[in-house]
Amino acid sequence: MTPQVLMDGLIAGAMIGLGAIGITLTYSILRFSNFAHGEFLSWGAYLALAIASGLGYLAGGPASPIGPFSFGWTLPVATLLGIALTAGLALLVDALLFGPLRNRGSAVIILVMASFGAALTLRSLLEFIFTSKPVYFTNALQIARPLGGGLRATPDQLLMLGLAVVLVLAIHLLLTRTAIGRSMRAVSENRQLAGVAGIDVRMVIRTVWIFGAGLACVAGVMSGLLVQIRPQMGLDLLLPLFAAAILGGIGSVPGAMIAGLIVGVAEAMTVQLIGAEWRAAVAFVILVAILLLRPRGLFGRPE
Amino acid sequence: MKPAADAPVVLSTHGLVSGYERDLPIIRGVDMKVTKGEFLLLLGPNGAGKSTLVKTIAGLVPVHAGTIVQEGVDLTSMPPHLRVRHGLAFVPQTENVFTTMTIHENLLVAAQILPKASRAGRIADLYAMFPDLLRLKTLRAGQLSGGQRQMLAVARALIVEPSVLILDEPSAGLAPRIVREVFDNLKAVNATGVTTILVEQNVKAALAIADRAIVLVEGQVRLEGDAHSLGDDAVMAELYLGARHPSAEARP
Repeated sequence: MTPQVLMDGLIAGAMIGLGAIGITLTYSILRFSNFAHGEFLSWGAYLALAIASGLGYLAGGPASPIGPFSFGWTLPVATLLGIALTAGLALLVDALLFGPLRNRGSAVIILVMASFGAALTLRSLLEFIFTSKPVYFTNALQIARPLGGGLRATPDQLLMLGLAVVLVLAIHLLLTRTAIGRSMRAVSENRQLAGVAGIDVRMVIRTVWIFGAGLACVAGVMSGLLVQIRPQMGLDLLLPLFAAAILGGIGSVPGAMIAGLIVGVAEAMTVQLIGAEWRAAVAFVILVAILLLRPRGLFGRPE
Repeated sequence: MKPAADAPVVLSTHGLVSGYERDLPIIRGVDMKVTKGEFLLLLGPNGAGKSTLVKTIAGLVPVHAGTIVQEGVDLTSMPPHLRVRHGLAFVPQTENVFTTMTIHENLLVAAQILPKASRAGRIADLYAMFPDLLRLKTLRAGQLSGGQRQMLAVARALIVEPSVLILDEPSAGLAPRIVREVFDNLKAVNATGVTTILVEQNVKAALAIADRAIVLVEGQVRLEGDAHSLGDDAVMAELYLGARHPSAEARP
């Protein structure tokens, strides 16, 4: 096994971690597993792609790459707009589907089934609009540079890794140090008490969707930039995302990120040691093992 | 605080019908009025709907019919957090503190609806009122004893300087000595002018600190009167002490 496995695993893991934060937040506040979360990743990637292409068209051609990276100015701008639109999409799905079910006092299983339905709809819409042919943010080929110790990475990969760390720190500080973070923790522990303590629970729920979907968009763009964009990309990531959210401990943002990195590295190691066809099984094995051995995960609190 | 005879009505319900299921009302037409500064006790046997009534007033149980009005504002369809902003504070019977947060964080959460400049001052006021909480402020609420938890729950509710404070059985599960302490605290809070509504099973001790009491039976007001004279009432005796009411015996 080469040290490069670690680098490949960390990069894939950062993507998984960002997606898992959304899952862990929606689970801890809304109390259901949102299987449509993977589709927010895919939609985020496609929305950013559509906006970047539109911007490029308006600017009269593809933007020239920034520094050592493979993409021009249009992608960061498109990602920011994509985050806003993906958050809007999540709020729309909540307003049309989850919100009415919640208000009706529906059982968790109903919400989970509804999320399956939402996932199917969102994925089919993507295939309908963009077809299932893989697309790319850029056709530029990046050469991985040696980093020492036998590790190699492309500038894009290093940027994404750095961005993931910054985002996780920012979300973690926001949750632990600010009023909205305290409100989210309060709603997560006891929604009724939060209401009588003066917290606008509906506003907190909207905030959770915005954060979760926004991070999903970033993870989608990362995945699109480092691999490719396909309508199935979110579905393929779903199992690793849930494995990371549960391994990290539901509700824990740093937990989701660390667990995402663990799942990523475990997948990369499996590919090298056993074979690429076993990659998908790794997340499943981790998920089952953690549910059997330590259901509250690494950093979760006991129920 | 014994309210003046002509004290204004702070909170009232009119024909209130409520319950978790639409076709299964628990509260079945309650009219009640609470005057400013009053200490009102809500009594009744198990299952009478006392908790449901106060939860309905706090906005946690759906209203099927009737209205809830506080100081001229109709609260009936207002979400719970807006009722708090309107000066209605509620302390649930169980799970009434955020156990994963410290005492200080519990108070910070409640203080969030105050203007930023007044939050620290208001929390300091509450620490002055409950010095034990100041001493333990970095402790997680989950580690507190039953009495300390109740104290924190009451302090959390008082942060917003409510005009009406509603408590659902704050003495449940507490040792008698602690119950006295909690009741003393409540009496002191009421003495500062906060209208207080207390749901209690601990009838004797509660009647001693209340001004007036309402007895709820099967979701309806069965009896209402001065707290000090109500203790002797025959219906009370029947409800709580197992004595037969003379009129009940006369029934065929």
